[in-house]
Amino acid sequence: MSNAENVIENKQLDHGSRRQRLNRLLARADIWQAANEQQRSRNGIATGYPGLDALLAGHGWPRSATTELLVDQSGIGELSLLLPALAEMTQREQMVVLVNPPFIPYAPALAAAGVRLEKLLILHPRGQRDQLWAMEQALQSGCCGALLSWQSGPPPADKDLRRLQIAAREGNGMHFHFRPSSCAASPSPAALRLQLKSNGEQLALQLLKQLGGPSGQRLHLARNADLVRRDQPLH
Amino acid sequence: MLWLCIQFPSLPLQALTRAQPRADDDRPLAVAEQQSIVDANPVATQRGIECGLTIATACALSADLELLPRDNEREAQLLEELAQWGYSFTPVVSPQAAGPMDKGESRPACLYLELSGCLRASGGLQPLLQQLQRELKQMRISALMGLGHSPSAAHMLSQLPEHRQWLREAKSPPSAQQWRQWISFSPSKLLDCDHKTIAKLYACGIKRVSQLLAIPLSEVGSRFGRDFVNYLARLNGTRHDPVPSYQPPPQFHSELFFPSPLDNSEQLLFPAGRLVRELCQQLQRRQLYAQQLRWKLDFGQRGCKVVSVEISRPQLDPQRLIALTKLQLERFQLEQEVQALHLTCGQLLPLAEDALDEDLFGGNSHLKCSHQLLDKLKARLGHEAMSGVTLRESHLPEQAWQSADTLVLHSGRRQSGHQLKPVNAPRPSWLLSRPDPIKARDNKLFYRGEIQLLQGPERIDGYWWQHHRHARDYYIARGEEGSLYWVYQDLTSDEWYLQGIYA
Repeated sequence: MSNAENVIENKQLDHGSRRQRLNRLLARADIWQAANEQQRSRNGIATGYPGLDALLAGHGWPRSATTELLVDQSGIGELSLLLPALAEMTQREQMVVLVNPPFIPYAPALAAAGVRLEKLLILHPRGQRDQLWAMEQALQSGCCGALLSWQSGPPPADKDLRRLQIAAREGNGMHFHFRPSSCAASPSPAALRLQLKSNGEQLALQLLKQLGGPSGQRLHLARNADLVRRDQPLH
Repeated sequence: MLWLCIQFPSLPLQALTRAQPRADDDRPLAVAEQQSIVDANPVATQRGIECGLTIATACALSADLELLPRDNEREAQLLEELAQWGYSFTPVVSPQAAGPMDKGESRPACLYLELSGCLRASGGLQPLLQQLQRELKQMRISALMGLGHSPSAAHMLSQLPEHRQWLREAKSPPSAQQWRQWISFSPSKLLDCDHKTIAKLYACGIKRVSQLLAIPLSEVGSRFGRDFVNYLARLNGTRHDPVPSYQPPPQFHSELFFPSPLDNSEQLLFPAGRLVRELCQQLQRRQLYAQQLRWKLDFGQRGCKVVSVEISRPQLDPQRLIALTKLQLERFQLEQEVQALHLTCGQLLPLAEDALDEDLFGGNSHLKCSHQLLDKLKARLGHEAMSGVTLRESHLPEQAWQSADTLVLHSGRRQSGHQLKPVNAPRPSWLLSRPDPIKARDNKLFYRGEIQLLQGPERIDGYWWQHHRHARDYYIARGEEGSLYWVYQDLTSDEWYLQGIYA
């Protein structure tokens, strides 16, 4: 009997500390609560597209985390989706690092989008080990605002992806990882996964996964009107 | 004047062995020159091997004796390094090379430091001497020290064991009276003169300097010559005792030699760390910084390999420099055994007050850590893997950009002066390194399916004054799957090409 009473007393004593522990748990970014949806901190980096901001939990690209972009084909507007955020990063004196870009980043277009070119660093490491090392170092350093990486060769192991995610969290940088959409089925530690496709005219986005927010929504973003304006044929 | 003489009695041996880790101290080692032993390590000395023995006798005393040939050049270099080290304490430094071998003995190399100017800065005589001792020990160089009012007196007293004993506990420089006592007390064999003179002195029954000083100078002069009298006057302090002053060179060079060659780049880190620490101490004291560390791995007969580590910002922290070096060394496999490691810094630049990273309030931390990141990446990936982009003034799309050195990132601020503006027309964010041909059939264009022209043409015609005319009509086109392409028709050949992608 007395034993049981002791246990009950202990429980009461512990109540305060338990509550604290629970609060700490609830404050974590990766636990989603329907109740305080309105009060959630909106600490994302604005994407420059209001429609997309509204869908994302942090009202922008997640800070200090990996965002996976599943793209099969270039030219559908996948880079212009990121350019406003990148331009803002470079204007805040933070570095933007491109690791293994598939083509040459064309300076006039980037400058026209507001990217400060002197803050842009392009890396072409040899071999996957060097590539992962460089990405981790850059993300950890704390001075890299955004890192864009293109998967080349075999898909990185799950533990490498997790390491990159942790590096991004430590260095408070954004990590955008471009992968082929065949990876959509495999699990990933990324905080946000977006599938990018083209429906002919527009860029079609689908949220595959989002930490601390709902997923599954679709969104269509129009391309820049200057690009898709159709001239009258000359002949 | 307060002169300190530091003698390096086993410089011949230490110049050759100080690169090795301490574990090898249990083998007998000796340095030989012209068939006789010049220097031996303690194990060899215990077995009775001493300076002046012939090689044959020494080998008879100890069968497993390892003999190294004397390397005068390396010794001179080490002495030079020591002079640099001494220069960090006082501006008046004079190194003196070892004398020639004479009847199995020679005057060891030594270093004179004038201390009266730096006593206060170092907190008194005792802390200064302790620091000197400690740093010599760190460099693994054994030394004998003597203090005197003139270089000659300091040199003589450094050989006197009683004086060295006193120096260990000395708190303040002695008075002139005390010095005279020390000098009088010294045996006359410590006088810095040739064997013949010393033999003559002993033949006359003069065993201590006090006896010599008691004789009138004119008689000493007639017996031992004018030079000897001058030397005595310098010893007494009645005559000036000039020594050549040393000026440090504007660059840094140091090297370590491995008697047993290393075949593993990880083993190199230990000696490399020591060289970097030496460099950093020098730099710190002379308030300079290095922009580049050049490591030379010497493979002996089979050539050498040069590795350079570039440093974007003034950096005096040895740990960071070692980390950068480590990244470089990890990049390659050693195919041959390394016999010596050299560290050279060509240009040492004066440190501006605000240039150092370790500022107290860490104001510009973003810039600082981006410099560190760039250094790290450069060390492991190499120059060629990193680039930046800048604008260039040109009509031709493929010449309107250029790959920039990463140094652009270093400048940190916008360059003043002419600012290039990008063209005010929609340009693709990706450029193909070389234009991709597009198939044209029946007035239709095919690139991964049929593509449709949306806008255009934008005519770019340039270099018609040169051989290779560039005349192109640019269009924006859409592919079957919705990708937007930047394509052009070459007006000279009517071929179609894809040059950019609106990603």
